[in-house]
Amino acid sequence: MAQNIAPETTVNPSPSKNNSERAVSGRDSHSVTKRLQHELMTLMMSSDKGISAFPEGDNLFKWIGTLTGPVSTAYEGLTYRLSLEFPSSYPYSPPTVKFVSACFHPNVDLHGNICLDILKEKWSASYDVRSILLSIQSLLGEPNNDSPLNGHAAELWANQVAYKKHLHEHYKKVNGDGDSK
Amino acid sequence: MSKHVDSKQQWEIIQKTFCIDGKFSVNSADDEDLALVVRFVQQLGAGQFVLDLALDAIWTALRQTIVPDFWQHFKAYYDQKHGKDNDEPGEGSVDVMSRVAAAVSELYDGAVSFIPLIHRCEILCEKAGCKWEDCIPGGIMEHFKLHLRATLHSQMPPSFTFLLHKFFSAAFKVFYHAEIDTQDESEEIVEESMQCGGCNAAADACHCQAITNTFNQVNRQLFELDLLERLAGDIISSLLLTVITQHVTTTCRDSFDQSRIHQLEKWVENVVVGWLEVVYCGGRGHLSSADESIQRMVSDNLTHTYMTALYHTYTTTRIDQLFNIVIEYPESQPALDDIRECLDRTHLRDRLVESLRSAIQTRLLHPGVNTTDVLDAYISAIKALRVLDPKGVLLELVSEPVRQYLRGREDTVRYIVSSLTDESSSELSEELLVAAPLVLDDSHSDDDNMDNWETWTPDPVHAHSLKSKSQRTADIISMLVNIYGSKDVFITEYRTILADRILSQFNYDTDREIRYLEHLKVRFGETLTLLHKCEVMVKDVADSKRINSIVNSDENQRRSKQKFPVSAMILSAQFWPSFKEERLLLPEEVTKELDTYTEAFQDLKGNRTLNWKPHLGQAQIEIELKSRTLNLTVTPTQATIIYHFQECSRWSISDLSTITQVPKTILRRKITYWQTQGVLHEVEPDIFVLVEGEDVGEKGHPSVAGTSQSDITPQAIEEDEAESVMASAQDQREEELQVFWSYIVGMLTNLDCLPLERIHAMLKMFVQGSVECSPQELRAFLDRKVRQHHLLFTNGLYKLPKS
Repeated sequence: MAQNIAPETTVNPSPSKNNSERAVSGRDSHSVTKRLQHELMTLMMSSDKGISAFPEGDNLFKWIGTLTGPVSTAYEGLTYRLSLEFPSSYPYSPPTVKFVSACFHPNVDLHGNICLDILKEKWSASYDVRSILLSIQSLLGEPNNDSPLNGHAAELWANQVAYKKHLHEHYKKVNGDGDSK
Repeated sequence: MSKHVDSKQQWEIIQKTFCIDGKFSVNSADDEDLALVVRFVQQLGAGQFVLDLALDAIWTALRQTIVPDFWQHFKAYYDQKHGKDNDEPGEGSVDVMSRVAAAVSELYDGAVSFIPLIHRCEILCEKAGCKWEDCIPGGIMEHFKLHLRATLHSQMPPSFTFLLHKFFSAAFKVFYHAEIDTQDESEEIVEESMQCGGCNAAADACHCQAITNTFNQVNRQLFELDLLERLAGDIISSLLLTVITQHVTTTCRDSFDQSRIHQLEKWVENVVVGWLEVVYCGGRGHLSSADESIQRMVSDNLTHTYMTALYHTYTTTRIDQLFNIVIEYPESQPALDDIRECLDRTHLRDRLVESLRSAIQTRLLHPGVNTTDVLDAYISAIKALRVLDPKGVLLELVSEPVRQYLRGREDTVRYIVSSLTDESSSELSEELLVAAPLVLDDSHSDDDNMDNWETWTPDPVHAHSLKSKSQRTADIISMLVNIYGSKDVFITEYRTILADRILSQFNYDTDREIRYLEHLKVRFGETLTLLHKCEVMVKDVADSKRINSIVNSDENQRRSKQKFPVSAMILSAQFWPSFKEERLLLPEEVTKELDTYTEAFQDLKGNRTLNWKPHLGQAQIEIELKSRTLNLTVTPTQATIIYHFQECSRWSISDLSTITQVPKTILRRKITYWQTQGVLHEVEPDIFVLVEGEDVGEKGHPSVAGTSQSDITPQAIEEDEAESVMASAQDQREEELQVFWSYIVGMLTNLDCLPLERIHAMLKMFVQGSVECSPQELRAFLDRKVRQHHLLFTNGLYKLPKS
């Protein structure tokens, strides 16, 4: 994917969204489709455990993602559903990624919005769906408690046993009894 | 006689004249009496009364004596003979003849005896001006015949045909025999010497003439009574139809290389006209002198009944043989021409289609038949049915099951492609040379060529459900390709075969392949990317040749260090089909040389390098044993095996497997080669030792056994080479489906459960370079996954099992 990095994004690592969109506005949306299709293939062919995503319907710009909590963290054994929406300027602007299933996490708010730098100012065109999903997966185990969206979770994090208990209760409550997927 | 006769006398005279008392036998009245009667009647005005009485007496006689007597002959014969079919030949027919003759002449005589009476009635009518019954046309004579027929029919015993049939059969046999004799005298000579073919009697006691005479007499009498057609018409024609069927069947048996129909037409005309002449005109050749009505009847019957029957029988017979006819095409061309001609005169198209389809189903489309044979039959069918129906409608109808079946056979494509490019199997490779682009299902061409609109004919009625006309009349290769409906399958297979051929021959000679490729390009279209890949493959060979000559050239200083020359076949990985992966660790000595080659290549090509496929290729080796020296060309695996026996003359399979990294099963198979060479010997299970000589004691005397063993060599090598190095088409397909599987898992992980259609649509949309996969194939694939418990299928939705 390295050759796909647009020069302006690498030179200026945090351009405003408008800027980057203008930069690619002339581009054929066909190439975006092609890139997404290629990403889908990479993802399908990769053997990464615990992450997966697929276009939701006929629209290649809207995907559903699935990830399981990383092993040996409080999130182990839990499965979360996400939605990924790609702008037409992708990959020069990041996709909008949200949790669809309710997720109790310091960096995820009640509406499922995620606070993750690579989805905002640290975005680069060299990232792809796979790396996004991997980042979110590792975020579950290693939250950034300095800028929490969910204060309660951030406070509770220090006590891992209580955190895990609360997390699983919360998970069961929102996702129904054991019918996790 | 006195002028004044009293009424009692008058009555007596009347009674006597007209036999009103029913005593026909004692009829002694004469014309004088008749004249008297006429006078009385005129005086009394009782004409009508007398006539009625007179006719009534006749009818009664017919009803009570003559007709029952006649039928009694038939009944008696039936009672006597029924159930005993095998009466003696000869005797039987004479017996039959005489019985019928007796019966008929009795009837005839009985009927004739009424004729004077009838005449008197006619005179009475005329003179007395009275009428017989109601207004029936014709004279009293006609009326009498009508009555006779009616009475006969009313009393007809069901068994009467039994005798009559025998009678006519016997006569027909005599006739037919004579007819055959005059037509060709050579055939039945042998039989004739023993017994007469006509009457089955010994030749010296032939009754043929007697039979003919009786027969003619009977016919004449019946004809005069107007009974011939009524009583025997059915029998006469059924005999003819039977003999036509027999004749057609024997004539057409198993020979398709001659046109028979015109010959048969002539034959039928001869026999039918002859027989009808004999029956109705009293002898052969009397037709021209017969009544016009009879002439008309004969010719009508001939064209309407018998010719139609001939065409029908002939076509039916041929239809039953059609499968063989098709297989034997083009030798069977005349038979096909016949059928085509007859099909237009009969309504047997449906039957033809049905029969051929079922014949194909039972004789061709079962697992016991080789794919090659099925394909050959299909090709024959294409050609043969084109003769029958140039529009291809029949073909389309008949061949659909064959195509469907071939689609299900795994080796179909391989066979088609290999015979396309095989010089020895002429038929298909010749077809390939026809420079015309393929006509496929999806191509649209002008259906109606307006240039020859004058000769335009509508499609046969069956055409409605069929595809475009262009497709139906496509050439054979198009038809074969259409089995699958896609060119890609073929070119993929061709690519595999091409790869196989290149890698098994190793002679760097590509002229032939280039030629075929050119033909394929013409037929399949230039634009096909797969064909470009094939081109690259062929070019690889030429490039390899060039690179080899550079690397191995004298100027190259590395050559001096070389222990043995290395030639490489350098393949552009992107363009070649995937290989069967086999592991093989070459001896270090060899690997070093290969590395040297790689270096030389890198010098030549800059940033490119080589990735060796050690198990492919050939090695020329020389083996020096104590008793002999072998010069062989073997596969790398075989060479590696024997190489290791240099250091140690005793190896176990598992040790060998460890050092060469070849799986034991493959290793064992490869070792067989050395066993047939007599170089290795399995001293105990899984342990092999090197055999230095046949026997150490007889060193220097190569034994006969040794020579004969080396005779096996070429065969053994061939067997090994026949094994394809390429992944089979099926394996490749499996691989493609595996790609789908990853997508399907991805889909179902994120979207929970989906119906088949949705999965299919999504695959089509999202899988890059989308490989064709029909919903049916996908369903089969998914169902397989369900059986393997990789999937769940509920309510028409597929989902992943919970892990």
